[in-house]
Amino acid sequence: MTATLPAPASEPPPDTLHALDDLDVLSRLSARGLTLAYDGPEIVHDLSVDLPDGQITTIIGPNGCGKSTLLRALGRLLRPRRGAALLDGEAVHRQPTKEVARRLGLLPQGAAAPDAITVEDLVRRGRYPHQAMFSPPTDRDRIAIDRAITLARVDDLRDRSVDELSGGQRQRAWIAMTLAQETPILLLDEPTTYLDIAHQQEVLDLVQRLNRNEGKTVAMVLHDVNEAARVSDHVVAMRDGRIVAQGTPAEVVRPEILARVFGIATEVVAHPRTGAPICVPLGAPALPEGNPGAEAASMLPRPCRLCAVDATLAYDRCVVAERLSVEVPDGAITAIVGPNACGKSTLLRALARLLKPSAGGSFLDGEPLHRARRRALAQCLGLLPQAPVAPVDVTVADLVAGGRTPHQRWYRQWSAEDERAVEAALATTHTADLRHRTTDALSGGQRQRAFLGMALARQTPIMLLDEPTTFLDIAHQVEVLDLVRALNRDEGRTVVMVLHDLSQACRYADHLVVMHQGRVVATGSPREVVTPALVRDVFGVEAAVVTDARTGRPLVLPYSLEDLRGVGRG
Amino acid sequence: MSAASEARAHPPLRTVRAGGVSFRLNLRTLGLVGLAAAALFALAAWSLTLGSFPIPLEGVLRAVLGRGSEDHEFIVRTLRLPRLLSALMVGAALAMSGAIFQGLVRNPLVSPDIIGINQGATLVAVFWIVTGQGRTTLAPVAFAGAVAAALAVYLLSWRGGVAPNRLVLVGIGLNAALAAGTTYLLVRFPIEQVGAAVAWSAGSVYASTWSDVTTLGAALAILTPAAMVLMWHLRILQFGDDTATSLGLPVEATRLTLVLVGCGFSAIAVGLAGPIGFVALMVPHVARMLAGAMTASVLVLTALLGAIMLLASDVVGQYFLPVTLPVGVITAVVGAPYFLFLLYRSNVRL
Repeated sequence: MTATLPAPASEPPPDTLHALDDLDVLSRLSARGLTLAYDGPEIVHDLSVDLPDGQITTIIGPNGCGKSTLLRALGRLLRPRRGAALLDGEAVHRQPTKEVARRLGLLPQGAAAPDAITVEDLVRRGRYPHQAMFSPPTDRDRIAIDRAITLARVDDLRDRSVDELSGGQRQRAWIAMTLAQETPILLLDEPTTYLDIAHQQEVLDLVQRLNRNEGKTVAMVLHDVNEAARVSDHVVAMRDGRIVAQGTPAEVVRPEILARVFGIATEVVAHPRTGAPICVPLGAPALPEGNPGAEAASMLPRPCRLCAVDATLAYDRCVVAERLSVEVPDGAITAIVGPNACGKSTLLRALARLLKPSAGGSFLDGEPLHRARRRALAQCLGLLPQAPVAPVDVTVADLVAGGRTPHQRWYRQWSAEDERAVEAALATTHTADLRHRTTDALSGGQRQRAFLGMALARQTPIMLLDEPTTFLDIAHQVEVLDLVRALNRDEGRTVVMVLHDLSQACRYADHLVVMHQGRVVATGSPREVVTPALVRDVFGVEAAVVTDARTGRPLVLPYSLEDLRGVGRG
Repeated sequence: MSAASEARAHPPLRTVRAGGVSFRLNLRTLGLVGLAAAALFALAAWSLTLGSFPIPLEGVLRAVLGRGSEDHEFIVRTLRLPRLLSALMVGAALAMSGAIFQGLVRNPLVSPDIIGINQGATLVAVFWIVTGQGRTTLAPVAFAGAVAAALAVYLLSWRGGVAPNRLVLVGIGLNAALAAGTTYLLVRFPIEQVGAAVAWSAGSVYASTWSDVTTLGAALAILTPAAMVLMWHLRILQFGDDTATSLGLPVEATRLTLVLVGCGFSAIAVGLAGPIGFVALMVPHVARMLAGAMTASVLVLTALLGAIMLLASDVVGQYFLPVTLPVGVITAVVGAPYFLFLLYRSNVRL
């Protein structure tokens, strides 16, 4: 099959709710009958899509739905098995790389730069498609580089090395490199992943400015539905390698479509300031209205088994937090929240005995953690680290069984109780079907559930979870957090988790510990603690805080001045 | 998916519980251990029949049991058996050493010959030979060299804890330095003594005696059970330092114990037979390709396969080539292509 020929315009698949209404819309970049695969099975099936010129198009969908794969094919990084990605009517992979690179800039996911390259050098590399070999940079190159640096607002970082930038700065530097290519079309793969809310805002603001002021066509993959709804003109929702729906955010971000895309129940509300649709996952089972003990949790004086008192936390003499005092209410879910690098994971490490406070201490039942016996402590405090590792040849069943270690000896490797605990953990985390799979054959959500199973099998009364929802799409996030809540409500386990999503923390936690620059700035129930002023001071973003009618808990709805400008324009 | 990997994915597990003791046994691995043991026994018996004075199998068995004719008994028990047993035990020790280091560093390319331990033994042994010291003390001296090199690697990579990758890099650096020292000795000293040293450093079980066999046997009798117990700790260590610490494992102490046991295996083998390459690197991979993730029973399989490989190489080098070659040469010549073949054929994840 020749790939240059566009596939005959096929009937839109029956499940396409909103094909482009306006068929006259101009589109320089499109896909026709695109079927994509790496070595294995097909990931994207016979997909056709047009990216409208001069608009921001966002592709959303669950983990593994093929959205990044689609973007890679559009950006000429992946050769289609059938069909073609068309740039100005011609198949991209039939055109020379440099030719494509002058019209289309692609920022891959988690782009890696050589160490110690400066921002300016990085941006300069974006000029490659415009340069001939051995020719010195022209004035036009210099102008393009300066302009890219100004647009991405990285002027002050020009001579800094990329590896010492914060997440948001680094992502802006990479976007500047893509901008120096001076392409009318930009493809961005998950530009906001790994960033905290302020840095996410920073990057999305830049994308919006580029679209509005420079007229760039932008197509990006985002895993956060609300971000997509906030910034895009056109949303494409994918599942299992097919388009489920596309259209304006208001057309796509609707409960019935989200249910089909992500398989979860949601409620969609309008943002009080910008009017953009906001989806609020309901989770299952939804908490009844009123407050079932949860809200009361932090009001009543609760006993506290685990706490940090006047703890100073430092890595090698680099002090992260000083004189930190935190009490973990027993039997409740505590969430530690704060912007990137505020010390929240460090605090969790101190509570887990992985880091010894250089002054002060962390205590369990009044005894310093560092004096406790290893095994006794391991039977009481469970931990799910942020990026847990496992040997590639370990199966899920063995991984979960690894959690039994504190109850085992080398000569007592598989007692009847071990077996029961592992089976229970496999059942609770819905990983029993995966028990014979090795960890490298799991999706992000499955992997995280397997590690949670490992923490569960330990049957510790206190569980410490470091960012249990990172890397997961919204459905898996809800799944994991619902599971955590069930463990707390049904089995009375105390949970402490670090979360970077403030809305999730408000939804699931009974007790919030808000950290900023190594200090605890607020503690209490979400309702007491979360206000627009706190979100502004701590996270550096504007947000509306409304009460979720169903749960009585606060909902944090961030917005930026760029959004408000968009509302004015609309 | 091949039948072998299918069986690995759905292991036939039997649970054994008695009082406070409980284990899960993988029947497939136990079957493989049985097969390997039978193959090793057959190979050993057959190899005893070979030589410039061929003895029939029956005669060999009688001689081993002490009921053969006098000359048969002399040839088998005094000449052939020590060499055979040394080859077996050196192979087993090297293979287990490789399994421990590969698991510890979570890197498939690591073996004691790469991180300087063999080279430490070589440098000291070469010094011992070229300066004309006695051959009887050579084995313990080489052993000391291996242990010294291992400790140097461990201490030089210590930064409030040993990061596995740092250990590998420090080991490779030290290996280069020690190799340079060996080369210096070989260039500096008179040719007749250097010749003996070069012969030693090719790796051979030629000169083995019953006293060597006793030393090796005693060391293996202590180290092997320790290594089998440590496999359980190693598996936990492989979940990463944070998880292992949180699971109650004393991470640094466990790591040090594993390094010492791994070095012990390597050092006794090198001290006796000289630096034999490739067995420690290759055999653990073969065992894992056959039986899956490293556990105590897979470690036993590794030891048996190591013994088979070294014995087979020794037999080939001794009897089936126009010139007699030391076993270290054969392991590399036979092992490298076989290893590449396995890597090419198997889709096992390293």
